[in-house]
Amino acid sequence: MSPRSALNRSLLALAGLVLLGGGLLIFFAGLDVYRWHGLVPPAGWPLTTPADVLLGSADRARWSSQGWWWWPAVIAALVLTALLALWWLLAQLRRRRPGSLPVGGTPPPDGVELRDRALSDAIAAEAGALPGVDDAAVRITGRPAQHRTRIRLTLSPEGAPGTTLTALCAGPLSTARRCTGLPDPPTEVRLQARRHRAHRVK
Amino acid sequence: MTPGSTPPGRSGAPSAHPGAVPPAQATSPLAPGGPGRGHRTHRTWSPRRITAALVAAVILVAAVAALVDVIAVRAGRPAAFWRRHLADELATRPVDDVWMLTGAAVAAAVGVWLIVLALTPGRRRWLPLRSPAGCPRLRAFLDREGAAVLLRDAALRVPGVGAARVLVGRHRIKVRADVRFRDPQRVKDDLTAVLGEECDQLALARPPRIVVRVRQRTD
Repeated sequence: MSPRSALNRSLLALAGLVLLGGGLLIFFAGLDVYRWHGLVPPAGWPLTTPADVLLGSADRARWSSQGWWWWPAVIAALVLTALLALWWLLAQLRRRRPGSLPVGGTPPPDGVELRDRALSDAIAAEAGALPGVDDAAVRITGRPAQHRTRIRLTLSPEGAPGTTLTALCAGPLSTARRCTGLPDPPTEVRLQARRHRAHRVK
Repeated sequence: MTPGSTPPGRSGAPSAHPGAVPPAQATSPLAPGGPGRGHRTHRTWSPRRITAALVAAVILVAAVAALVDVIAVRAGRPAAFWRRHLADELATRPVDDVWMLTGAAVAAAVGVWLIVLALTPGRRRWLPLRSPAGCPRLRAFLDREGAAVLLRDAALRVPGVGAARVLVGRHRIKVRADVRFRDPQRVKDDLTAVLGEECDQLALARPPRIVVRVRQRTD
């Protein structure tokens, strides 16, 4: 699992737990579950009886009389929340691209670099020309030192995924490895087949 | 689910091939189970980008709106309408009010959904494939609709099949075919064989079960 996936899933689980906990708290008090089942909530439990309100006047009075530091603290907490949410949102929109890859043997000579677009276009051109492939789109992602290749292939009706993968591995990917001298990057291939009308192959 | 007329052997182990299939696997570079001939791709976990972006946007909007209003009130302006309204409602509606209970139910349901999204792999649309032997770091996936299109084409190649509908699930493939001529039972046997062969061509990491149903259509 990538770090971003782990972060997203942790934060989503946290948000889910908060929503679920809040909802259940209101539900239990609203349906008077505590009294029916003879449960005694611990002292300081926020909602206990159906007549409770979420925002009692006692709460409001207590918050309003906290002293000079209360509102600056609220503002600071809101600013922090907004900044973290903004950062989390931007982390979803950003796609890291290496820009250029060092090529030419180990250690790579200075100044010899390959644009990521050049490499992806070359792979896409060769992959798109494979038999049974209608269309190929390639993206290089990640950092220059650990880049990844993502390939999306659209198969024609004559294409078979197994043979296409073998051809992809023996053709464009091995060409790319030979030409760049880079070790094999992690590669993700997504295959689709173009929808078409049912027809009998003679 | 499986009709009683299904020939035995098809509903068994997922890797079982019907005896009618010629031993074509020996020539396939992606033969299943062969030592050193490719490896299985495991399912990858979706990063859940869209859900995360939605939740982040909701939190951002709420925090910024609250922030703007708190600062406005500190600066001596009256509180915004939505804030007074919200505070009044929350202060007057008891928790057994129907709106409060509805809101609580919705919040709990959304919470459960978010937890489910956080804990499950996702990417149910993509079937993992076996990687070719030469590229150990390649991971390949085929989308289920694409698999259905390829299998439907294969089914239509069987003589006697007039129309075919293929539903590709994650563990089972259902094929329904209309038989225009020939004995339905023989068409069904042929279909089972051809689809097993085609399914092998798909190089699926976990070959699903294939359920074939035929229906006579002579009109």
